[in-house]
Amino acid sequence: MLKRHLPLALVLLIAALALLLPFFLPWSYDQIDWDAVRAPAFSEPHIFGTDDIGRDRLARLAAGTRITLLVAMAAALVSLVVGIAWGATAGWIGGKVDELMMRIVDGLYALPFMFIVILLMVVFGRSILLVFVGIGLVEWLTMARVVRGQVMALKQRPFILAAEAAGTPSTTIVLRHILPNIAGVALAYLMLTVPQVVMVESFLSFLGLGVQEPLTSLGILVKEGADDMDMAPLGLLLPGGLLVLILVCLTIEGERLRDRFS
Amino acid sequence: MLALITRRLMTAIPTLLVIILASFFLMRLAPGGPFDGERPLDPATQAALQQAYGLDRPLWEQAWLYISRLVQGDFGPSLVYRDFTVSELIAQGLPISLTLGGLAIVLALMIGVTAGLFAAVRAGQAADKTIMMLATVATALPTFVTGPALALFFGLWLGLLPVSGTGQGGAWLIMPVVALALPVSGAIAKLTRAGLASVLKQDHIRTARARGLPEVKILFKHGLRPALVPVASYLGPAAAGLLTGAVVVETVFGLPGLGRYFVQGALNRDYPLVLGVVTLYAALIILFNLFADLIYGWLDPRMREG
Repeated sequence: MLKRHLPLALVLLIAALALLLPFFLPWSYDQIDWDAVRAPAFSEPHIFGTDDIGRDRLARLAAGTRITLLVAMAAALVSLVVGIAWGATAGWIGGKVDELMMRIVDGLYALPFMFIVILLMVVFGRSILLVFVGIGLVEWLTMARVVRGQVMALKQRPFILAAEAAGTPSTTIVLRHILPNIAGVALAYLMLTVPQVVMVESFLSFLGLGVQEPLTSLGILVKEGADDMDMAPLGLLLPGGLLVLILVCLTIEGERLRDRFS
Repeated sequence: MLALITRRLMTAIPTLLVIILASFFLMRLAPGGPFDGERPLDPATQAALQQAYGLDRPLWEQAWLYISRLVQGDFGPSLVYRDFTVSELIAQGLPISLTLGGLAIVLALMIGVTAGLFAAVRAGQAADKTIMMLATVATALPTFVTGPALALFFGLWLGLLPVSGTGQGGAWLIMPVVALALPVSGAIAKLTRAGLASVLKQDHIRTARARGLPEVKILFKHGLRPALVPVASYLGPAAAGLLTGAVVVETVFGLPGLGRYFVQGALNRDYPLVLGVVTLYAALIILFNLFADLIYGWLDPRMREG
């Protein structure tokens, strides 16, 4: 079990460390240690050293990971809710409504969506809540397509037809009989959405449009590291490596789940 | 084919219109304006500038004016780069972005299709698993991490390639293009492998084998063409991804492309510049999707009718 789900276990371990570390470190992520500005790695008491203004790298990594994972989970949930609602409605009603709703999804797929998100971030950029609502609103399209396909297939199954014949109201059928049956597939695509969202959030934060100081995220840390990489390569390699590790693990796990359900 | 093109262009116009209007009104919702510099201008100058650029008129009127000028090919003046029109800025930036994106997609296709082909031929073996694992890792490599990391290794440490700006022959293109191409090549490798592995199990391949055709011919002539259909349908989203990736790469490597103008324009509230770039990007993506559909039809004749 553990061996098969090593990637997921790794991400959970990283998340647990990011949550718990701040309680054991004497420094907070935005606290400046005036005696140890630009401390090299493995110097007591800063394991990974400090950045160009004397903030502990380990504490900043933990804080950044926390925000990145938090935004990712919240945005993935938004995409899950919107995607399931849209896809299930289209699939259940069918006909003209379905065609129109899926046309809209197709149309949105073709858009330079990232640019609309960048505009959204410029408009509402000061609020972390809107960052993940914005991202979630972009990432629901695949979920909607998959859910719609599943609902279309389920609709023909005898137990649904029987429920309809028995006069069960549509909302009850969808909520009680359809949704539990698509939970597995939805979960798999949720797993695949999380790395997408992590990518979008870090991308925006990297450009200075996502999470704002004094909060920090892995994207911001990568940006700070890239700006200072000639002096301190560790500042880029640590958050960059951690981000890639999280993305790779989540992608592997998500693809495995998807292959199992399809 | 002509019918497909006309039909697509007919739907492209309303799509473009929606994008332009959405961006127009979103932009205006943002607090701040293009003339809030370091030193605040006095109210009279502020008002005069607003009037000169027509920003004091009702929003819907401005939107209408913008679109009616756009139809005539006029993107308007840039509000922040005062001496330039948006068309001039686009003319400067577009060639760089297109070169980056175009080279990246070619490189991604070369790496991806080769790797996918190799993996499919060795399906189930260790080489297949290794390649697919590498492809998964590649898809998870964000350009804003690989870009600076490449610059660090090959630019700063090894001193082989220029870290920023253009010039010095074509060497400045190498790192940005590689950073852009990596995630796309991973996705293409997966699609090629999946497509080819399933095609190779089909009857027409077995027939070809039974007739004793050389394996290379089977693979390239009968196997690869239908296997590339999913790759073709991925090209549209890939183009959109490359354009967004180019924003980061241009920022990281200090290249004066369109993406940088877009981010700068959004931050500076340079309304016409942002709108111009969004419009152009949307048009490019729509065009590329159409192009991908045509390739699709060429690869799989059954698709031509629908």
